[in-house]
Amino acid sequence: MVATKGNTEVSAREEILGRIRLAALHKARHPGQHPPPALPGGWETFAGRLESVGGTPHGPVAGAELRRMAFDLASTRAGDGRIVAEPTAADWLGPGPWQLASDAAIPHAYEDVAVGFVRGRVACAENGAVAVAGSDATSRALLVLCQHLVLIVSVDSVVPDLHAGFAALPADAFGHHHLTWISGPSKTADIEQALVYGAHGPLTLDVIGVER
Amino acid sequence: MTARLDQRAREVLADEDAVRRHDASVFDLRQRRDAAVAEVPDWEALRERASGIKRHLLDHLDRYLERFETQARAAGVRVHWATDAASANRIVSELLAARQVRQVIKSKSMLTEECGLNPVLEARGIEVVDTDLGERIVQLAGEPPSHIIVPAIHRSRFEIGALFHRTMGTPEGESDPERLTRLARADLRRKFTEADAAITGVNFAVAETGSIVVVTNEGNADLGMSLPNLHIACMGLEKLIPAMSDLPVFLRLLARSATGQPISVYTSVVTGPRPGAELHVVIVDNGRSELLASDGHRGALGCIRCGACLNTCPVYRKAGGYAYDQPIPGPIGAVLAPSLRAKEGGAELAQASSLCGSCSAVCPMRIDLHGQLLAWRRENRTAGALERVVTFVAATAMTRPALFGAAGRTAANFWSLLGRRFAGNPAASWLHGRELPEHPGESFRAQWLRRRETPK
Repeated sequence: MVATKGNTEVSAREEILGRIRLAALHKARHPGQHPPPALPGGWETFAGRLESVGGTPHGPVAGAELRRMAFDLASTRAGDGRIVAEPTAADWLGPGPWQLASDAAIPHAYEDVAVGFVRGRVACAENGAVAVAGSDATSRALLVLCQHLVLIVSVDSVVPDLHAGFAALPADAFGHHHLTWISGPSKTADIEQALVYGAHGPLTLDVIGVER
Repeated sequence: MTARLDQRAREVLADEDAVRRHDASVFDLRQRRDAAVAEVPDWEALRERASGIKRHLLDHLDRYLERFETQARAAGVRVHWATDAASANRIVSELLAARQVRQVIKSKSMLTEECGLNPVLEARGIEVVDTDLGERIVQLAGEPPSHIIVPAIHRSRFEIGALFHRTMGTPEGESDPERLTRLARADLRRKFTEADAAITGVNFAVAETGSIVVVTNEGNADLGMSLPNLHIACMGLEKLIPAMSDLPVFLRLLARSATGQPISVYTSVVTGPRPGAELHVVIVDNGRSELLASDGHRGALGCIRCGACLNTCPVYRKAGGYAYDQPIPGPIGAVLAPSLRAKEGGAELAQASSLCGSCSAVCPMRIDLHGQLLAWRRENRTAGALERVVTFVAATAMTRPALFGAAGRTAANFWSLLGRRFAGNPAASWLHGRELPEHPGESFRAQWLRRRETPK
């Protein structure tokens, strides 16, 4: 019966919180923010780290060069496959061989995508990770279903460390379903510790640095 | 309990090649960790900060749990509470049954291993597919994981190739890790797209925003969270952190400690469900509030499940995960087992340690693991009768100098009989692989006195 189940869960909550109230000491204070570590920043540092985690950096590029690079990547990575760009990435790229991602409600619509273009908001030099905001990847499935992912990020958005990375996220970053840091192509080492790129997500990750 | 710890370990140790391979793979992870840590100038400050934040969190856990619940609900999450493993399993299986779910894709969650969720769901006719490659391997083999980060580390590529051939019909004799991974990828892609629901663990839960954070390298949790319209996330109540600005402190420690990566490939901060989908978070106690109430063991709740203590532990490296016979092996598993009570036999695991302290030295959360093991030994009184007699005799002799001196002189006369006379005696197991040195003919005490009197 639904009511009984509901009551059981309510009493479980009270039971657990009651035990914790008794056990919690209410003493130790929060140690405060971690001071910024002295780590190098900049696009070059980020690009080096991205390579070490299996990704491929491109650029920095601007204007017509960005379009040319995107066209090149689309054809080398996709072959004859389907290419999809999220609207905010397409804003930067202009028209091209890509369809616009539009139907967020049907994630399975992206099962056959060869290349996905998505905009990144922050790039972190410390670990080669790029933050993709939920508002730039409304079709979240595209991020992991496409065989090859291309992230486009402003070179001005590179921060040295992850603390700065979180601080630099847009104000509404946690007002959307997801915020995803991506560091390299998907990978596994579950068979005898042998590193293999392309576990369940994209086989490759390209990151284009854009000068605006 | 099926067998004693030392009996289980002996079975594992019988296959010398497997032991060597396991030891080398696990220690390789430890060395990767060391290299990654060396690149971080503020590593010790990070550890200090993380353990300070967790101490604060645990001291105010009631408030942070309530805050998390309020914020998660505001974002559209359904929050459930489970006092123990059985109620956690019941909540999950009722959610699935109410929506006629037939097929579930699951990403790695040590909590659901601890609760024994899979068999409960399977008994209700639900197909559960573990999607982390290592977990898929052990699932197909019908075994539990042997490591919390690399669940199939005890299996060779040849064994995995044969297993895939038998269970997925892949080409016979295939043993190349890359091709095996591709075959599993294709097989699991189908499972991902067919599934009606996804179950994931939770690496961190942020009280400030009501977000859950899920970390993987393979992208399996992200596929799970992106495809089906139902996502159930199961978390131990200690997974909370106060604020989003605390998250990078833990993320910078986690992957480096686990595999030596600067960060995992995917770090997904999920705040509320996908539009049109459902997100349920099940908060599980299962012995954790009891740990919180124990001054001596509260610190163990700071564990972020990185596996660094397993990779450095001389006992885990040799004996492997199965010798522990618990969902979480290694030093942290031995510390948690008596409280989480997933299986019997948890208390004796405190004996499975040399107390060398290497686990405490690598723990990113600065948990005093070897101190905790010692504390459990004291509390459980797991020592056998013989050990108690020996300790009593030693304590008596050591606090009485005259008696100690006499014992030393006597021992000199009987030395040569030790080992031979003890064969077949329980005490002899300690002498396995050890050889008694030649006795110098007089006790240490006698030598000490003599040398002091005749300086060189």
